[in-house]
Amino acid sequence: MLLIVVLVLLAACAWLGFEMLRLRRLNLALRAGQSESEEELKRLQASQSQVIHTTKLASLGQMVAGVAHEINTPLGFVKSNVEVVGDLLDDYRKLVKQYDAAVQICLQPVDLIFNADKASLDKLVKHVEEARRKLFEARAAVEKSPLLKDAKELLGDASDGLAQLSSLVLNLKGFSRVDRDGMDSMDLNEGIESALMIAQHQLRDRVKVVKQLQPLPKVRCMPSQMNQVFLNLITNAAQAIDGDGTLTIASKVEGGQVQLDFTDTGVGIPDDVLPKIFDPFFTTKPVGEGTGLGLSIVHKIVKGHGGTIKVRTTPRKGTTFTVSLPVNGNGAAAAEAA
Amino acid sequence: MTDAPATALRILMIDDESRILRALKALLREYTTFSTTNPLEAAALAKQHDVDVVICDQRMPEKAGVDVLREIKETHPRALRILLTGYSDLKAVLGSVNEGEVFRFVNKPWNNTELRDLVASAGQIAREAPVIARDVLPAAEHDRARTQVGVLVIEDDTAVQQRLREILQPYYKVNFANNAERALQIMEQNETGVVISETEAGRSDLTSLLKALKLHHPHIATVVVTERANASTAIELINEGQVYRMLIKPVRMGTCRLSVDSAIGRYWQLKQNPQAARRYVAAAPNAESSTSALRLPAALLNRIRSLPGRLLGTMRA
Repeated sequence: MLLIVVLVLLAACAWLGFEMLRLRRLNLALRAGQSESEEELKRLQASQSQVIHTTKLASLGQMVAGVAHEINTPLGFVKSNVEVVGDLLDDYRKLVKQYDAAVQICLQPVDLIFNADKASLDKLVKHVEEARRKLFEARAAVEKSPLLKDAKELLGDASDGLAQLSSLVLNLKGFSRVDRDGMDSMDLNEGIESALMIAQHQLRDRVKVVKQLQPLPKVRCMPSQMNQVFLNLITNAAQAIDGDGTLTIASKVEGGQVQLDFTDTGVGIPDDVLPKIFDPFFTTKPVGEGTGLGLSIVHKIVKGHGGTIKVRTTPRKGTTFTVSLPVNGNGAAAAEAA
Repeated sequence: MTDAPATALRILMIDDESRILRALKALLREYTTFSTTNPLEAAALAKQHDVDVVICDQRMPEKAGVDVLREIKETHPRALRILLTGYSDLKAVLGSVNEGEVFRFVNKPWNNTELRDLVASAGQIAREAPVIARDVLPAAEHDRARTQVGVLVIEDDTAVQQRLREILQPYYKVNFANNAERALQIMEQNETGVVISETEAGRSDLTSLLKALKLHHPHIATVVVTERANASTAIELINEGQVYRMLIKPVRMGTCRLSVDSAIGRYWQLKQNPQAARRYVAAAPNAESSTSALRLPAALLNRIRSLPGRLLGTMRA
């Protein structure tokens, strides 16, 4: 009997030991698997943040291209005008020199008259008459010369151009908020204006922009992220419009919410595409042209600010994106949004 | 055309920004200038005032500069065309070659001295050099031209070579080279009127060859066929290489044939009317431009310079 019990116990021990070994092996395998999937996850996260970074770079490139165009036009005439005014002043100086020479000729006979005899007086009168004519001509040339008026006009243009350039730089600073990152109170209308300026080169030739912006209370948010939202929605609208069209941007306050509508007269979004537009990496653009992250980032940022984004679309008629944000929201989650 | 070489050059300027126009007017004050912010009336103004030079902005709301220049090319071909632009996207640059056939492409902000000199030389050419109204030849003459004039393809990709062979061989006297050295050998032995070329072969740059060729033999029509086009190389090829056409790979049969046909027509007419070649003269390489850093070896340059006029069809003075 005892023997049987001992045998059973031994068998149980052996089985337990065997099981333990098996479990340990399994456990090891599982751990290896776990660390593998952790690495895989890290790799994926890294590649996603790489793509987001690339998207940011792409929109940076787009921004630089747009701004380059906006800057080069005023820069063109400011630079030219400043140089030309220099030339005009040189020309004017020549006129003044001629005038001065004429004055000198007029002054010569005055000295002569005081110690002249009768015979040479006649000669002097002739000289004076000639000198007076020359002086008159030189003076008329100075007075009639358009040089100073032209120079003033060119400098006026140059000054306008410089104002345009400084407002561009100001807008850029406002757009990127490089000087103060993080949460801030922001007039969303200003953000829309600066995003419009950045997107200008995509719109100007063919898309008419109608602004229906009502005064808004300041909203606590991350301004650089909100600007990214606006730029994205404006760029999407411009790309949705094939040929000429209109982009209407409206803002208003309603029940503690700021509501922003971006309405384009573009191609619209087909029914089968609509449910997927906020999905990361979903794109209808050809390979290499879009990352499919634009709207997903927009969605993430708006959500992070405690807001909502809605879309209404009619194929071939156009699309409206409506962004609503709480006026008193604390975009606490915003910092993690992007 | 009025025969009044002694009078000041007449310049037409088009830009939607009126301050640009005022700046140009002041810069070019020694000439008679006409200007408009409305691109739709540009072609009529060019004809009405019989202008010598047109300077046109690219981006305007009513009409793109390339389209304005193409229209002026049709209605008033005597004027030389300059495109002025704040930001050059590739599409605009390609359009300015293939459709507008611009003389020069100038970026804003421009350099005053360079622009003034450019307008002066363009105006002089516009007054003195005869115009070739249409590149496409009448059928009978075209048949004669294509049996005499050699077409040289410089391309090292054998697949593309094969494709071009299929497109071109049945119609033209075609030769193939896969590098600059071989290309020159062919040109030294055959009358070559049209050069079809990539921008690079086997990692070595071909644009310097194309520029040098055009600088010394402006009557040769060059068609650039490239895979990777970028705006700044294209602008250089316009200004310093006066390329006739610029096509993006993959090469399509129709466009390719059309381009080569009219390129042959252009060469054929310049051969008979060498003075007109001044209209297609290239600018001397800009010291600052990127690719001219890759200078051609002196030996190649000498060979380009001394390519026999007999074979090229030039009548040397």
